[in-house]
This record gives sequence, structure tokens and C-alpha cells, in this order.
Amino acid sequence: MVDRESSKEEPRIGVYICHCGLNIAGTVDVEEVTRFASTLPNVIISKDNRYTCSDQGQQLIKNDIKENNLNRIVVASCSPRLHEPTFRKACEEAGLNKYLFEMANIREHCSWVHLNDKIEATQKAKDLVKAAVAKVALLEPAIEAEVPITRKTLVIGGGIAGIQAALDLADTGYEVYLVEREASIGGRMAQIDKTFPTMDCSICILAPKMSDVGHHPNITLLTNSEVKEVRGYIGNFKVKVLKKPRYVTDDCSACNECSEVCPVNIPNEFDVGLATRRAIYTPFAQAVPSTYVVDKEVCLNKEGIMACDKCIIACERQAINFDMEPETLELEVGTIIVATGADVYDPSALLNYGYTRYLNVITSLEFERLINAGGPSGGSLIRPSDMKIPESVAFIQCVGSRSEKGNPYCSNVCCMNTIKDSLLIKEHWPRVQIYVFYVDMRTFGKGFEDLYRRAKEKGVIFIRGLPAEVVEERKTRNLWLTGENTLQNKLYKVNVDMVILSVGIQPCQDSEAIQRFFTLSRTNDGFFMEAHPKLRPVDAPTGGVFLAGCAESPKDIKDSVTQASAAAARAGILMAQGKVTVEAITPKPIPENCRVCGLCAQVCPYNAIIVDKENKLVEVIEAACAGCGTCGAECQFGALHMRHFTDDQIMTQIDALTEDDASKKIIAFCCNWCAYAGADFAGVSRIQYPPNVRIIRTMCSGRISSKFIEHALSRGAGAVLVAGCHPGDCHYIGANYQTKKRVERLWKKMERLGVNKSRLQLLWASAAEGERIASKINEMQVTLKGLTTKEVEKAREAFSDN
Amino acid sequence: MPQKLWREPLDAQKTKLPKAEICIITDLCKGCGFCIEFCPKNVLEQSEQLNKKGKHPPEVTDESSCALCGFCTAICPEFAIFVVEKKGENNVGNEEKE
Repeated sequence: MVDRESSKEEPRIGVYICHCGLNIAGTVDVEEVTRFASTLPNVIISKDNRYTCSDQGQQLIKNDIKENNLNRIVVASCSPRLHEPTFRKACEEAGLNKYLFEMANIREHCSWVHLNDKIEATQKAKDLVKAAVAKVALLEPAIEAEVPITRKTLVIGGGIAGIQAALDLADTGYEVYLVEREASIGGRMAQIDKTFPTMDCSICILAPKMSDVGHHPNITLLTNSEVKEVRGYIGNFKVKVLKKPRYVTDDCSACNECSEVCPVNIPNEFDVGLATRRAIYTPFAQAVPSTYVVDKEVCLNKEGIMACDKCIIACERQAINFDMEPETLELEVGTIIVATGADVYDPSALLNYGYTRYLNVITSLEFERLINAGGPSGGSLIRPSDMKIPESVAFIQCVGSRSEKGNPYCSNVCCMNTIKDSLLIKEHWPRVQIYVFYVDMRTFGKGFEDLYRRAKEKGVIFIRGLPAEVVEERKTRNLWLTGENTLQNKLYKVNVDMVILSVGIQPCQDSEAIQRFFTLSRTNDGFFMEAHPKLRPVDAPTGGVFLAGCAESPKDIKDSVTQASAAAARAGILMAQGKVTVEAITPKPIPENCRVCGLCAQVCPYNAIIVDKENKLVEVIEAACAGCGTCGAECQFGALHMRHFTDDQIMTQIDALTEDDASKKIIAFCCNWCAYAGADFAGVSRIQYPPNVRIIRTMCSGRISSKFIEHALSRGAGAVLVAGCHPGDCHYIGANYQTKKRVERLWKKMERLGVNKSRLQLLWASAAEGERIASKINEMQVTLKGLTTKEVEKAREAFSDN
Repeated sequence: MPQKLWREPLDAQKTKLPKAEICIITDLCKGCGFCIEFCPKNVLEQSEQLNKKGKHPPEVTDESSCALCGFCTAICPEFAIFVVEKKGENNVGNEEKE
């Protein structure tokens, strides 16, 4: 593509203000903003449009570029995180370099968060457009570098989602590493007896897939393994996987002789402790790989001491080897699928249900093992206290879900699971009386309502209203449930032989580690956040990383499989293309300004800057650089030109936003990944906050140089907010620690100069914390209200030298 | 799978391991303490009593946790300790095998 424009050419700007139906036009006076935009310098065309992102909207821009020789475009509409790629593409198609496009976010950051203040919202929209027009005039065309993509995938988690994703990609022809922490793949689905709504046997449909994984030539299965470190970026990840030793070689024929002689007998995790296993064992009959494993935690043989050799003697194939060592594998992959699954809620925290105090109160997962023919009771539904088949059972729904005590969200699968379980009981023991105590029965999926109807037909009694309390009768160990039937406004007191707690699903304990590896975000509920809830539901915000299964949110098997196939397809698209372009936002050294001090290299989280003091050279390794801009903020001599987020461009945005009424405004610098996204989320959630805040986007809070903040104060800004990812969650490893240092340094300086330091605030907020951002802005109003003209002037003077 | 395992497994009685009887020939013991140090189940402790050699032989603190691994027998330099299976007590699992 030939760039018609050059940065030296006089800017000819086209501005397009979007109504977004009534989403923007309902609050912002779009015509007024359009008229205002036409008065701004270098603006040739200013138009409003009902839906700028539509085909017609894009066509209008393309035509205008050609007919009017526009060389800069501004669209004021939604968040650039949503539609910047759309409009950039349109620009490109019209022959305009896509880096000469800028967006003003007047929806998520304006109309949606100031629904009841049309005048102020319109004023804010004008400001945002003014800043965008000012910035766009200074933008420079750029050509993106291409990076090759390694055609291999890492799938983390060997549950049904991980299995499906691995098989789909392997069948497509890509090499797959499947990493599973446990000794066998299979995950939760392997523990479950039947699946709803079709009542298929769970392990019968899962085991063939597990076996396919085990035999697939394109899949390297790494069980008993954990991801320890992830480096790199989309297309080029370097992953360290710790493969713990099994102490049993592949020669194992799974004959079980070793297990029989093993002198250590402990509860089996797979059977939720309802059965025992030995220290050398296989988790369950269909395990893949079928090779046995030694649980070194409980085995009598410790480091360097062989106390017991019974299994070694018993093994005819001599497959047991206690000399095996942990291995650290270094994998190079292009894409990664996170399918780490979920944990079940532990109901012992809910004291009123008596779990762990009463033997006959069990969880739905324990029920699955009890009703399973391969389980500890051989498929016989028995109650733990006396091993007798109960005559009556009660299911309690929403245990740990939709409640203040447990988790606030709906766990999605428990209603259907209970219906399925009640039908299973009715199938084998039709006389068992079944009560289901519920809040709402949610049977929303294909075939779900049918199953619900069948359960009712079979005589399962559904009672709305959870029991307040479960009390055990000492002698019989039967259980009394008391509560209110909210449909009949009557109290109930029901006596049953056994209670089954329908426990919810919660995020995995180690999702925090995974979050760090990939700098992902989690929702308030703790599940991983997708790049876009509607349009990119399986993409993680980090390029080249995809989500599948319960790691993303609670879901049933069908949804997990669907999502896994989707994630595999998304990863496949990247790998089929074989290359990816890197955003042209990396720094360019300006040798004549550089004093080769090396500060930039010190703060670079990626070691992407090489300082050659002898030859007085600074070099940026583009492939390693992620474009956070921390180096640019650190450089005191203007020797690093941060492309697309240059000092001049940010300064001109500050200028535009502080032109009038500066003292009443908050200038907020937000990082693209957490704080800016969090402000977007506030918009999507329609969280309302005062309209006097003006957000400037940078890729990382590390880009925010002290001089930007000082400049804003010297322009008379009432307050400045610097917002980034939580420490440790930074999208650029640890660049935000530099942010913290700089802000702290500035606070000291403000103190020294006698400037009220509460006018500069630092906030850590994730992409899910819209509320947090809103409350910070509210909090800052107090400072603004108490601000005197004298104080503003003082800060103005104090920082004006800079 | 981090759930708490608190129940007695349903097959706990059936899969009970053979019970051990630990025999210590106290006067042979020279008090090296190997058996105490290396017992993987920590069922032995130094006793207060003195034997003929003037040493403190080991004593059994918790016979029920002995796993019958026989490591004490194997490392005792004086052949002063050995373990046998206790007959007739809860050896169901064991009997089935035989």
C-alpha cells in the first residue's frame, strides 16, 4: 500500500460523530458536537451518523477520504477497544494508513455514564472530540512488523474442554501439548455418572475421547505436570512445564499387583473420599494414561530413603523406578488454550446444613460417585450412616450459589444436575420419595424443560423455598428440614433419610497463578474475563491466549465442548495464517537527544532495549518490545519516540482537555488493559459518575511520564488521576511499579512545592472494576470542591517551568 | 482436587491393612537409633529404660500405624528388631488375597 499522505503534509481531518442509535444521541447532543467539531483546526469535514460502524457508515468515511483528500480521520463513538480495528480497516481500504485514525470514546466514557446530565455530557463529548482532533493532527503513518507464529498449541487442563480443544487442533494438523496437573486426564466429567438431559453415561462418552488423546500422533500428553512460567507473546510463547515423576514407567500394564501390596491406604480423591486408594495407584479404571503413579506425599519412601520395596517386588514388568526425577520441559508454542476448569463449592461453611457434622448430608459430587456403577458402593444409592438404601431424600439447591454466604452468581448446572439425579433415583428405586427445595428452577437449555417435566411426572416433589435448617435425629440419623414454602406461604417440616446438597461451582484455587502467567483479568466472581463478552467470547484479552470450559464461567459439558471447539478454531485461525502483525507502537530512539544513560533499559520489563555505552547507541529489539512505553516515560531527554503515543501527542491531548474550565476537571490517564477497560465496563454497566473526568488512554500506566502530570497541573487541571492494573497483574509484567515510583516521587515534589498532593491520585483497577473507578472519581470530587483559585494558581506556577 | 476428605471411606473396613506386631529384643540393641530415625511412620521412640549394654532401646509408641514395611529390620545392625503380622485381627483384606 502506498501512503498518499506524509506527516509533513497539512492535516485534512474528517470527523464523524456517531449517534449509535440512541445510545449516544439519547444523552449527547450529537448535532451540536458535529457543529463544534467543524470549527476545530484542520477539520475539513464533520458529519454525524446513526451507526458509523455499519457498512454505510464505513463507506461514507471511505468516500470522503477519496473525494476530499482527507489524510486524518476521527470517529467519536464507542470504545476503541471495541471498534478501532473496524475503522482502521476502513481507512486502510480507502488507502489511508491506519495509524492516522483516532477515536473519541463518547459512549462508554460519556453518554452511558452520564445518562441524566445532557448538558455536561455534550460538553464532555466536545472535549473528547477536541482532544482526538488535536492528537490525530500529530499522528504519523506507520508500517507494522510481521512476526511468525509457531504452529503449536499448549492446552492447559485435561478436562473435557481441554480434551476437546486438543483433539480439534490435533485433527486439524497442529501439534498440541496437553498439560494436566493430575495423574490422568478426564477432569470433573470423569467423576460424573450420567449427563443431562440425555442421560448418557458420562465416562462412556468421555473415555473414547481420552483414549484418542492418549494415542493421537499430534498430541503430547503431559500429566502430573504444571505450567511454571510463561514468557513471550502471541505466536511465540516460551513455556516452562514441570513434569513431576510418576515413578512408574510406560512398561506398566496396569495389573494392579503393586497396589495390592502397598501398605499405605488413604481416601481416594477421585471418589471424593468415599473409597480408599493406595500410595501407588491409578485414579480410576479408565484413566489415561493407564500407567500407575506413586503419590510421593504418602509413600513410605522419602527422598533418598527406600523404606519399602513391596511394589517393586510385586511388579513383574519391573516398571517401578524410584530414581525418576522431576523434569522441566521448555515448550515453544504459538497459541495457548486455558481450560483449567473449576472447583466445587465446599458446603461445610454453611453450618445450618450440617455438612461434615451429619453423616447423611452429602454433596452432589459425592452423590455422583455413589450412584456410579464403578463407584465405591457399586452404583447402589446408600446412605453413609448405615449403608441402607434411603426411603426418602431431599435435594437442597443453590448451595453456595446465589447467596451472600457463598458465591453471588448462579452456578448454571446444579438445577439440571438435580433433576437428572432425581430421575436416576426414580429409575432404580421408584419408591424413594424425593423432595427438591429450590429458589428458582432454571431449565433453559435444549431438552432441559422436558427432563424437568419428566421428573415431575415421576413424582419428584419440588418445593420453592430453601430449608432454613437441617437437624439430625440422633437415634435414626434421619434429617429434619424446616423452612418456608414460599409458593404456599406455609412453613414445612420434612423428615428424610438423606440430604443431598446441590453444590455450586467456583473458580479454581490456582487461577490466580494462571492469571499472572498471561496477565489475564478476572471478573468479580473470579472467573477469567473474555476479550469481548459478545463478539470475542473465547479470546482472552492477551493475544494468542484463548479460554474454554469452566475456567471462563460455570457451564455444562455441552457448553464446555462448544467453547473448546470455538477456542480451537480461533487458535487455528492464527496458526493457519502463520504470521501476525505487531502494532507499530514500539519506541524509536532519537540518537541526537540520547545521552546513553541506560535508564530506559533498566525499566524495560522485556529487556528489549540494548544500551551500547561504548558506541553511544541505544537499540530497541522490536520483536521483544510489547509497546508499554515505560522507557519513553523514563527518558528525561526526549530520546525515545514512543510511536502512536508520543510526548507531543499526549501533551496536545492534555492541552485540548484543559483549554477551558480546567480547574473543575479531572484529567485521568488510564492504561488500555485494566483501567481504561474498567471505565469501559462502567459504561457497559451504566454505572453513573460525575461528568468532569476526561480520560486519556495509554497502553500502560508506565507510559505516564511525570511531565504529563505536571503539564496537566500547570494548565490548571483540578486533579489528575493515574490508573493502571493492580500491582502484579500488569499487562506488561511489572511496568506499573514504575508508575507507582513516579507518582510517589511527584507526591513528594508536590509536598515540597506546597501543592495539595491529594490532587494527584493513583488507582489500581482491573477491567472488571468499573465500580471502583466510579467511586474513585466520586471521591475526588471532594478535593475538587475544596479547591481554591489560589491553590490552582499556585500549582500552575509551581509546575509551569516544566 | 482440593476438596476436604473427611468421611471414613465406605470400604475402609474391607481394605484395612494387616496389623503389625513389632518385636524388639531390647538387650541386643546398641542404641544407634537408626530404626527410630528412619521409620517412615514414626512409630518408634527412644525409651527411658536401660538394657544390658547400658543403652536406651527403642519403644513402640503407636503400633497401629506400623505399615509392616520391615525397614527397621533391614537397617538394624544388631538384628534387634523385627515385625510380624498380627494374626486374627481385622485382616480381611489380607485373607482375601491369600
